[in-house]
Amino acid sequence: MAKVLEGPGMGLMKKWGIHVPNYVVVTSADELAKLGQANDWMKNSKLVAKAHEALGSRFKLGLVKVGLDLAGAVAATKEMIGRQVGSITVTQVIVSEMIPHKEEYYCAVKSTREGSEILVANCGGIEVESNWDRVKRLCLEVGQAPTHEALEKLSKDAGFTGALTKKMADFSGKMFTCFDTEDAQYLEVNPVVIRESNGELVALDAVTLLDGDAKFRHPDWNFQFAAEFGRAYSKDEMEVMAVDSKIKGSVKFIEIPGGDTAMLPAGGGASVYYSDAVVARGGKLANYAEYSGDPPDWAVEVLTEKVCSLPGIKNIIVGGAIANFTDVKKTFGGIINGFRKAKGDGKMKNVKIWVRRGGPREKEGLDAMRALKDEGFDIHVFDRNTPLTDIVDKALQK
Amino acid sequence: MSILANKDTRVVIQGGAAGVNAARRMAEFCYLIKRPLNVEAFVYPPDAGKTNEIPYGSGLMAIPIYKTIAEATKSHSTINTSLVYIGADRAMKGAMEALDDSHIKVVSMITEGVPEKDAKLLGAHARKLGKVFNGPSSIGIISAGACRLGVIGGAFDNLVLSKLYREGSFGVITKSGGLSNEIIWICSQFADGITTAIGIGGDAYPGTDYVSYLEMFENDPQTKAVVIVGEMGGDLEERAAEWYGAKKRRVKLIGVVSGFCQESLPKGMKFGHAGAKEGMKGEGSARSKSDALKKAGAIVPPTFGALGPAIKDAYQELLKSGQIKEVIEPVSLPKLPKTVEEAIKADEVMVAPLIRTTISDDRGDEPCYDGYPASELINKGYEIPHVIGLLWDKRLISKQEAEIIKRIMMLSADHGPCVSGAYATILAACAGIGLSQAVAAGLIMIGPRFGGAVTDAGRWFKYAVDNKMNVDEFLAYMKKNVGPVPGIGHRVKSLRNPDKRVKELVGYVKSLHIKTPCLDFALQVEQVTAAKKDNLILNVDGTMAAVLVDLGFPVDSLNGFFILSRTIGLIGHWVDQKRQDSRLIRLFDYLVNYAAPKRREVPPLK
Repeated sequence: MAKVLEGPGMGLMKKWGIHVPNYVVVTSADELAKLGQANDWMKNSKLVAKAHEALGSRFKLGLVKVGLDLAGAVAATKEMIGRQVGSITVTQVIVSEMIPHKEEYYCAVKSTREGSEILVANCGGIEVESNWDRVKRLCLEVGQAPTHEALEKLSKDAGFTGALTKKMADFSGKMFTCFDTEDAQYLEVNPVVIRESNGELVALDAVTLLDGDAKFRHPDWNFQFAAEFGRAYSKDEMEVMAVDSKIKGSVKFIEIPGGDTAMLPAGGGASVYYSDAVVARGGKLANYAEYSGDPPDWAVEVLTEKVCSLPGIKNIIVGGAIANFTDVKKTFGGIINGFRKAKGDGKMKNVKIWVRRGGPREKEGLDAMRALKDEGFDIHVFDRNTPLTDIVDKALQK
Repeated sequence: MSILANKDTRVVIQGGAAGVNAARRMAEFCYLIKRPLNVEAFVYPPDAGKTNEIPYGSGLMAIPIYKTIAEATKSHSTINTSLVYIGADRAMKGAMEALDDSHIKVVSMITEGVPEKDAKLLGAHARKLGKVFNGPSSIGIISAGACRLGVIGGAFDNLVLSKLYREGSFGVITKSGGLSNEIIWICSQFADGITTAIGIGGDAYPGTDYVSYLEMFENDPQTKAVVIVGEMGGDLEERAAEWYGAKKRRVKLIGVVSGFCQESLPKGMKFGHAGAKEGMKGEGSARSKSDALKKAGAIVPPTFGALGPAIKDAYQELLKSGQIKEVIEPVSLPKLPKTVEEAIKADEVMVAPLIRTTISDDRGDEPCYDGYPASELINKGYEIPHVIGLLWDKRLISKQEAEIIKRIMMLSADHGPCVSGAYATILAACAGIGLSQAVAAGLIMIGPRFGGAVTDAGRWFKYAVDNKMNVDEFLAYMKKNVGPVPGIGHRVKSLRNPDKRVKELVGYVKSLHIKTPCLDFALQVEQVTAAKKDNLILNVDGTMAAVLVDLGFPVDSLNGFFILSRTIGLIGHWVDQKRQDSRLIRLFDYLVNYAAPKRREVPPLK
């Protein structure tokens, strides 16, 4: 899944005929001031300015300002750009037209096992969470599009009446088209409001999760995906992602500040069991990582360097199940090079390394790891006869 | 028995290199269980009409490649399964083609990164047709003792260690490729091994879920228990729990779920598998899955490490209840034939070498010339002439000798466009011939009349010096036995129009005050011959030859200096003609003496 920020998310909705407020995404206050001269709506309506970053709880952080005039929006932009929140620097601000409204509604489309589900409620905003039973659903099989009748029924079931029934049905139909055509996995507008001037339903917000795997058929996706966990990707994470996009197989790396147990396991499945074992033992993860699909040794080396660079780590878990075809000797070769480089840079002091692995050329790979002991590494090597996550137990023994 | 894959499974593999690799692994398994190869065909349009060679035991099977599934199943009507190894952007089209073929009942997709919608469409289409679509991102399916689809099970040694050569009693369903092997291994160590293990793929919405496969296992009397390896994200485990709890089931269900770490990690974090992502309100969390399985009566060990003992307990219980008996292991198993390399490494065979070399070796991290690593030669200031010395004469020549060779090379790098070699290259270049062939055309001109006089000149000057001949004896000998003296004479240069290159080279060599018996002799010969006719001078070939013999280079290598240095010029001529986009050359009539008979009438055929 790939999260898309509000600006490009709204762009996609607009493309499929969903009304969205006028908005601009700017990278400086000057840019906004200039745009303000060219766009009447910015002079004529109240504005909302929000930091355009993958940040959670922006409101609390003071990164959302409402009811502004143009000068106020310029000032807010000036204040927000460059603000440091954790590892993220605010570089973009989205300024949109504020739409006065009385009522708020809810509409979403989500992916399900059978196909998708359209969700509609005649309450919106923060009310939705506490009134989840008021959300009505229309389930659709994959490949099937909703009929107008079904959408109207959904709208009625959700409590819409009169002209609004048809409007909400139209709105949700467009949401579905956008969802289906754009290979989305989740689309949510909360709230949907009525523009008083013309009675049109307008999407005031957009949560857009696209299927990153479908990028090949969407050449117009000219935006970057954002991290999904409330912060932007770090430099090291981006570097590993760049490597990942280039290779056969995969390498993955996510930092978790404050941890002391670094993960360097193989396999998308096993890596999670290793992480579980660390948490179950009361350890603190310093990262999530994983390599699989017989990646080239240089890619594993890059990953290893990033893992070794994590601050304050005491243990590195080089775990793995019995590989199907990942060459243990070769991938361990990359890890060993990474370890040596890190040690050369003075990074491996007081760090214990724990290894467990099986698979093609396991003996050669494990022997090469064991030999690191002679180079002064504090390394403990186990083979397939040691159960998968036992090295975590050994590492975290008090 | 087994599910999905059995001894009657016949496979078509859709895709290129990764599919061929899988076929090789499948052949290893077939060999282990003493069955013929179950891969009948490949579908890979770029190579249609060719075959892929798949090693089976010590032999090689040639498996045909087709353009379409229809062509493959038409020629191999027993095919009933397709494995998809096509890239993510074309995988759906390929899998649809397979599903729509009436012969094919199971399609397993190995491709990773397939869009979710595509996978759902394939799953729905398969269900509609009453077929199985497994995957995407599936590591494969293996039925012990019967059939392997894909690379699941790992290397040959691992197949044996995991006792996959014979059937056990445990079914396995996993999302993770790596863990599938781990579980198979655990089942073989703590219990009697597996019936079938299925990698369903780590995507959010795999084509077929746990429940469908649980049903199949439930109906397979040989399977007594099923191990599922779950993870957070999606609701497959909850559905499995629901299925298991719905009524009394024959099979025991043992399950582990990963992702408890998520309770202490940033929300929304993405793990290795596309499907491993918790939904809102804790749906799909490891805890909710784990709890659901427990509630439904499944055995859920607290950690992955406790899985082995839990499987052992289940196995012991099955033994005690008489549902299964202890397995008797086969006395002997086929061993995968070693490759020659492996056998040599193990000191098991001796192979008589085909060729022998005494000059170079590039088996290490870099080539060694006569034992000296190339990089070290470079870093210590050695140059091309030293490399020539090492490779042609197995000798690390001195700086002074290297300088002489460098000068010889520079002097003979090119002699203009009119000499035979250059002209031939130019002619070829104008005819559109490629670089290597055009240069080769020039090089094959090197012979006794062009450039190739170096070796001959060296040979005869050396003969004279070795036999202590004087000039007169030598010239008489040559006249009687050989002919004109190689290295003497020039078409355009003469005493009055001397060759500066020769003067330069001789002058330099002489200035070094080294012993040069051959060169001295050649110069004496020149004095006599040039007196007779003023173009019978010592030419460049002769000078090079004499000097090189004096330096100790083998006579047989001497033309090599000419070939090597002249190649520089020939490449230049080819590039020059290309750059000018030169036209095809046709010889002008006036450059030919048509000495053939005049035109005449053709007589009637008798």
